[in-house]
Amino acid sequence: MAQKPKVDPHVGRLGYLQALVTEFQETESQDAKEQVLANLANFAYDPSNYPYLRQLQVLDLFLDSLSEENETLVEFAIGGLCNLCPDRANKEHILQTGGIPLIINCLSSPNEETVLSAVTTIMYLSSPGSGSPPELTAMPVVQCMLRFSLSANTRLRNLAQIFLEDFCSPSQVAEARTWQAHSALGIPLPRTEAPQQPRPRETSQP
Amino acid sequence: MASSGSELGGVFDHHVQRAVCDTRAKYREGRRPRAVRVYTINLESQYLLIQGVPAVGAMKELVERFALYGAIEQYNPLDEYPAEDFTEVYLIKFMNLQSARTAKRKMDEQSFFGGLLHVCYAPEFETVEETRKKLQERKAYISRTTKNKDHYMTKKKLVTELKDKKDFRQDFHSRTSGPCAATLNTSTGNSDLCLPYSCELPLCYFSSKCACSSGEHMGWASDSSRGGRNCAGTVEHCMHNDSSQKIQMKPFKNSLACPGAQKATTSSEAVDRFMPRTTQLQERKRRREDDRKVGTFLGTSTSSNEVMIGPLLPHIPKVDMHDDSLNTTANLIRNKLQEVRSFLETVLRGAWVAQWVKASAFSSSHRPGVLGL
Repeated sequence: MAQKPKVDPHVGRLGYLQALVTEFQETESQDAKEQVLANLANFAYDPSNYPYLRQLQVLDLFLDSLSEENETLVEFAIGGLCNLCPDRANKEHILQTGGIPLIINCLSSPNEETVLSAVTTIMYLSSPGSGSPPELTAMPVVQCMLRFSLSANTRLRNLAQIFLEDFCSPSQVAEARTWQAHSALGIPLPRTEAPQQPRPRETSQP
Repeated sequence: MASSGSELGGVFDHHVQRAVCDTRAKYREGRRPRAVRVYTINLESQYLLIQGVPAVGAMKELVERFALYGAIEQYNPLDEYPAEDFTEVYLIKFMNLQSARTAKRKMDEQSFFGGLLHVCYAPEFETVEETRKKLQERKAYISRTTKNKDHYMTKKKLVTELKDKKDFRQDFHSRTSGPCAATLNTSTGNSDLCLPYSCELPLCYFSSKCACSSGEHMGWASDSSRGGRNCAGTVEHCMHNDSSQKIQMKPFKNSLACPGAQKATTSSEAVDRFMPRTTQLQERKRRREDDRKVGTFLGTSTSSNEVMIGPLLPHIPKVDMHDDSLNTTANLIRNKLQEVRSFLETVLRGAWVAQWVKASAFSSSHRPGVLGL
């Protein structure tokens, strides 16, 4: 939920967001970085802030933060992207600046919320049927979603099922199933997952 | 942190209340102390988990309290959920997400029967369909909001852009010929000064009057009065199209029917309303020069592409008051008088004819030849 800042009315929303971005870039404290990023990610929930966020290049800030070591920063950054990517202008920016590989990487995070946000972001960046970037429904992604769809984690299972039903063609899903039987994947399930299914075997390619 | 939440109704990380952050910089401290957390559409849900409910048999009161924020679809206690001593845990499902969001915001950390409630979302209770619907609604909401904003921002942008392009338009005007282009020119120029009406009237109503007053300039005296009625009749049509015209912005569109002229002027009027007054006076003077030049071509070009609304009556000479707004007002008053005059003429003529018929019928039966029939 968005914080309610005590801000000088003269500064305004843009000024406040600018102050947040500046603090994020300048501070040494990890705590402060997390707080500021969470603040920005929550602002990204409200569409009225999108022009400001684009102007301040907060989208790029989120994408850059996906490569951070700090898992919390990654979680907040992908959360921010998840919040603002349904907007068409934001979506185009993310696609044009090569954000897809970074987001797909988040699928392998041990953090549950990160994975959930990544799956949702991928869905919002896709369009049902044809027209979405092909990397979003590439084989590794579909295979990953297949595994998620068997997860004991209800939220993850639901999201993965929606992805497979609405954003993949039946042939893609069938092909992924065939491949899954044979290859090693290397995208582990999130840490909070209770291992209810057999672990993927480290087998060589047939 | 591993969670034991794999079964439905288990404890999840997102149920756990996090510690409030106390190291925030002053400028970004909120009104209420809050934990550091990001809320995404995944986390939010129509299902709310309420912990810390004192075990005093107050389920009904609890539900009533939450029902203040929206319709509740179902509710039940979660007996297996780990709870502190003497407290219970409930699950409440709201009909829609927005109610749940409001209820969570308002009821979290609220006192209830001596205990502090902890309210959190419980998205793990959603079905696939509910999750799907939630994601779609979020996307639709953003599209809707952004579209409205785009429309508003485009309007504003239009105003600024057209202010800048005024010079371009002047050049264009000097090049165009034809009565309707001139009609457009005049009416755009007159748009905001020709009316003593309040600004709440739709712009296309303004333009309809302006088109009529400019018609006056052209010598379509009674045409303007009929045009006025006709234009007023198309006000609703204009209003309906209002939003799209503002975006389309084609003041030089060559759709020359009267409603078409109104449509085309509507968008540029939005601009002219904000033009400085002195500039507009000069603009109007210049356009009047053009109109006079163009007026001579009336007879030939009109018929080809203009929809004639009424017969061409002789131009009534008017007094020039040496002020544009006064002249415009005078024109309007003149039009109105003309309207009333012609209406009365029609009525009286009709009445006279009726009278005459009656009288002649009477006289013919009694005194033939009195009325000269």
